[in-house]
Amino acid sequence: MTPLDRSRDVVQGTLDMLVLKALSLAPMHGWGITNRIQQISKGVLTVNPGSLYPALERLQDRGWITGAWETTESGRKAKYYTLSAAGRRRLGTETEAWRRMVAAIEAVLRTS
Amino acid sequence: MNLPSVARRRLRALFRRSIVDREMNDELAFHFELEKQERMRAGASSAEAHRAAVHAFGGVDQVKEEYRDALGIRPLENLIQDLRYGVRMLRRNPLFATAAVTTLGLGLGATLAVFNVVNGVLLRPLPYREPERINIIWAALRGDDGNFWTLPLSSGSYSDIERDSRSFEAMAAFRAWPYAIAESPDAEREAVAGARVSPALFDVLGVAPAVGRAFTREEAVPGGPNVALISHGLWQRKFGGSRDIIGKRIYLGDAPFTLTGVMPPGFAFPRGAELPAPFQFGLRTDVWTPLVFAASDVSNYDVQNLVAVGKLKDRCGAGECSASAAQAELTELLRRNLPVSDQPNSAYKLVSMADQAADRVRRPLVMLLGAVAFVLAIAGANVTTLLIGRVHARERELAVRSALGAARGRLARQLVTENLVLCVLGMAVGLTLAFWGTKVMLSLVPGSLPRADDIGFDWRVLSVAGLLALIAALAFGVATAYAARLRFTRAQVSVSRTRRVLVMTEVALSLILLIGAALLTRSFLRLQQVRPGFDPSQTLTARVSLPVAGPFQPLVDGPRWGATFDQLMARLASVPAIAAAGGTVTLPMSGAYEAGGVRPVGKAYEEGENPIAQVQVVAGDYFTATRIRLIAGRVFNVSDDGPVRASMIVNRRFAREHYGSEADALGREVRALFEFDPNRPPRVIVGVVDDVKTVSLDADAPPQVYVPFSQHPVYELTLVLRVRGADPLAAVPAVRQAVREVSSSATVKEIRTFESVVADSLARQRFIMTLIATFAVVALVLAFVGLYGVLALIVGHRRREIGVRLALGASPGNVVRGMLGEGARVVAVGVAIGLAGAFALTRVLSSMLYGVSTTDGSTFVGAAAFVGLVAILATWLPARRASQVDPRTALALE
Repeated sequence: MTPLDRSRDVVQGTLDMLVLKALSLAPMHGWGITNRIQQISKGVLTVNPGSLYPALERLQDRGWITGAWETTESGRKAKYYTLSAAGRRRLGTETEAWRRMVAAIEAVLRTS
Repeated sequence: MNLPSVARRRLRALFRRSIVDREMNDELAFHFELEKQERMRAGASSAEAHRAAVHAFGGVDQVKEEYRDALGIRPLENLIQDLRYGVRMLRRNPLFATAAVTTLGLGLGATLAVFNVVNGVLLRPLPYREPERINIIWAALRGDDGNFWTLPLSSGSYSDIERDSRSFEAMAAFRAWPYAIAESPDAEREAVAGARVSPALFDVLGVAPAVGRAFTREEAVPGGPNVALISHGLWQRKFGGSRDIIGKRIYLGDAPFTLTGVMPPGFAFPRGAELPAPFQFGLRTDVWTPLVFAASDVSNYDVQNLVAVGKLKDRCGAGECSASAAQAELTELLRRNLPVSDQPNSAYKLVSMADQAADRVRRPLVMLLGAVAFVLAIAGANVTTLLIGRVHARERELAVRSALGAARGRLARQLVTENLVLCVLGMAVGLTLAFWGTKVMLSLVPGSLPRADDIGFDWRVLSVAGLLALIAALAFGVATAYAARLRFTRAQVSVSRTRRVLVMTEVALSLILLIGAALLTRSFLRLQQVRPGFDPSQTLTARVSLPVAGPFQPLVDGPRWGATFDQLMARLASVPAIAAAGGTVTLPMSGAYEAGGVRPVGKAYEEGENPIAQVQVVAGDYFTATRIRLIAGRVFNVSDDGPVRASMIVNRRFAREHYGSEADALGREVRALFEFDPNRPPRVIVGVVDDVKTVSLDADAPPQVYVPFSQHPVYELTLVLRVRGADPLAAVPAVRQAVREVSSSATVKEIRTFESVVADSLARQRFIMTLIATFAVVALVLAFVGLYGVLALIVGHRRREIGVRLALGASPGNVVRGMLGEGARVVAVGVAIGLAGAFALTRVLSSMLYGVSTTDGSTFVGAAAFVGLVAILATWLPARRASQVDPRTALALE
C-alpha cells in the first residue's frame, strides 16, 4: 500500500493540502497548525489530532515537510514542521487540482 | 517519495522505539497542554478545560495508536510481539517446552548428523580442481563368468595410453609405497604411508605444493635425483613446520632424499579408503616420490600394479569430452595390438574420481538417510500431538482473543510464529547433537569410510538445517491452526482422529525401523559366527617393512629380503612368549589381496579361458600360527626354503575345481603366471589346506594357492604370531626387539590382534547396524511417549465421562478395558501398516544381509509383537489412571 493511493481519498487529500497551506505561511508545531486552520476557516474546519499527527508523519515520508525539535517563545520544547521545496510545488498542484474540482462540481450543480 | 529517508525513519522507529515513543508522547502532551491553556484563557476552570481538551482530543490512546500506525512498523512490531509471546509461552510451560525442544532436537540432530556425512561423502565436490573431469583408468578383463573385472594397469599399458591417447589434458600413474622417514641417518625412523607418483599427478589434481616446488618430469627418470614431497601434517609434526628444511636432506629408509616441497594442508591423495583395499594405500598419504619407469618397464605388460588417473580435456573436437568417448578411444587403442580372439575380452574402463571414492558406500548412506527421515517424521508427529494438546489447553485464551476481534489470520500467524521459536530452539539443539553425532558416527568406522576428511558443517548442511526448521515451523503452525479451527467449530472428534492418525504413523514407522534393525543385527550375529577357516584368537599381527629406496627389483633384492625375514622368523620362533611364528604378505581380512593366473600342467585351456587363484605368500609356521587345517599332504618346511625350489599348497576349492578331489591334487604341477621370474619351472603341489575366507566373512573363499616366502620374497611381511597367554599385545616389546636385532632400518606398524583385524573387517556392517538400531530405539521411545501422551490427554478430556460411567456402576476394570481397546485399535492399525511397509522396504537391505531373508518371518513377528507390547504398555498406564478417577471429583469439576 503506497501513501499515494491514500491521497486519492478526498478528505485526506484535503487535510494534506490544508496542512501544506498552513505551513506555507511559517513553520509551526502541531497545535499551531490545528489552530491556524481553525482560525482561517473561522471555526468551520477543525482538525482532530488523531488525523493530524498521522498526516504529518505521512507528509514527512513523502519529503514535503520536515520536522525538527525547537524551543518555543515560552521556552518549551516543541516539534516544528517546515514546508520543503517539494512540498511547496505539491501545494501548487494540489491547489490547482482542487480549484478545478470545485469549478467542475459548481458547474454540475448549476445545470439543475 | 524519498525511500532512503523513509527507511531511516522506519528503522529508527523500530530500533529506537523508546526514543520515538517519548518524542511522540512529548509532542502530544504539548498539544494537549496548549489545547487546555486555550480553554482556560477563555475562562474555563482547570478541570473543565482538561475535560474539554480530552473531548477535543478524542482519546489520547487512540491518537497514539493511529500515530503508531502511521509510523508504519505494525507488521514488524507484531512479529516481535509474537516472538516475545512465543518465548514467554515456552518459559511458562517448561515441561512442554523441554519435551518439544528435546524431541525436535533429537530428530533434527540425527537427521543432520547423517546428512552431514552424506554431504561430505557424496555431495561435496572432491577437494581438487575441476574434479568432475578427473577419472580413474582401469584395465578391464572379461572373467570366466562373462563379466568384466577391473584391474590396475601395467607400466607397459600405462606408457601406451599416455603416449597415444588424445582425450586427456594430463595423466598420471601412482602406486603405494611404504616409507620410513627420519631427519638424519641415525635418527629413529617413523613408518609413513607413501606413494610413488608421476610428476603430472599434481597437474591432474590441480594442486601445487604450499611451500617449495613439485618434482619435475626431468627428475622422474632412471638415475634421476632422489627427491620427495611431504604432507603439511608430517611437516608440522616431524620438522616443526620449518621452511629451512625445504631443499635439504631427509632420509627415507636408508637413502638420502632432497625435500623439494610441502603439500597444502589437508592434501593426502591417494587416501586409502577411496581406492580398492588391495592397493594398500595408507589412510592418508604423507610422502610422495617420483614414479620412475626403467627402460624395461615400458614394455612390461605382466605386472599390473599401477593406478592411473587422467583429467579429460575441456573440449574434444566439436563437443565436450565424455568419459565414455575416452573409454572407447582407449579400448580401441588397446585392441589394435591384440590378437583377434582376445579383443572382446580386454577393454579400459573409466570411473569418475567421485564415484570411485564413494560408490561403495552410496547405497548404505542413502538408506541411512531414509531411516533417519523416519525418526524425524516420528519426532515431528510427536511434537505435533504435543502442540495440538497445547491448543486445547489454550482454547479459552484463543477464544477470548478471537472474541476481542483478533482476525483468524492474525491468530494463525501468531501460532506459526510461536512454533518458529520452538523450531529455532530445536534446531540449535539439533545442530549441537549433529556436531557430536557426526564424531560418534565417524568413530564407528575408523578409516574405512571414504572421504571422511571431507565431512564438516558447510553451507549445505546449514541450509538444510534452516530449511528443516522452517518446514517444521510451517507444518506445526498449520497443524495447530487447523486443530484450533476445528475446536471452534466443535469438531472434537476430528481432532482426536488427527492425533490418532499421527500416533498410528509413529507406531508404523518405528516398527519398520525396528524390523530393519533386527534384520541387520541378526545378520551381524550370523557373520560373527562364521568360521573363517583360521583361528584369530591369541594371535598378534604386525607389518614389517624393509626400506626400499630405488625401484622394485625382486630378482635383484629378493634373496636379501628373503634372508632377512628368514632370520626374523627364526628369532621370533625362539621367543618364549610366542608359540608359533608365521607371516604372510597379504593378511586375511585386512583388505590386502593378491591374485594371479594359474595353469595346472597337463590340462588344455581354450583361448580366452583364464583360471585365476588368490595368491598367498607365507613364511615360517604360518599354518600352525593361524591354525589353518591341513587336509592332505604336508605344510611348508625348511626343505622348501631357498629361491630355487618350487613348491605350492592349494586349498580345497582349488583342488576340487582343478583335480576333482584333495588327494588327487598332491604331486601335480602348476605353472604360476605371477612369478617374478617368468622362466621359473612349474610348482609342485605338496599339500592341501582348508578354505580360508580372506576378503570378508560373507564371501566364499576363492580358489587359493600358497607359495613359500623364501621362494617369492618381497620387502614386506605381516607377522602372524600365536602367543602363549591371553593377551597377544603383551608380546609386542619382544617382537620389536627381534625386528631391531635383525634390521636396524626395518619399520614395524599396524600392530593389532588378529581378532581386531577380523572385527574391523565388519566395521561397515557394524556401522549400519549400530545406527539403524539406535534410530529404531529412539523411534520406539518417541512412539511410546507419543502414544502415552495422546492417551493421557484423551483420559484427561474424558474424566467427566469416565466419572459418570463409574458413578453409574461401571467397574474400574471395564473402564481400563475400554481405554485399552481404544489404544489397541490405534496400535493394531499402526502395526499392520508397519508390517506392510517393512515388507515393501526391507528389500533395500538385501545386499547388506547375510544368512537372513529380507522378509524373515520370525523377525517380523517378533518385532511386531515387541512394538505391540510397548504400545499396550503406553496405553495401559493412562488407562489405569482413568480407572482411578474418583467420580465425585470428576463430576464436581464442571
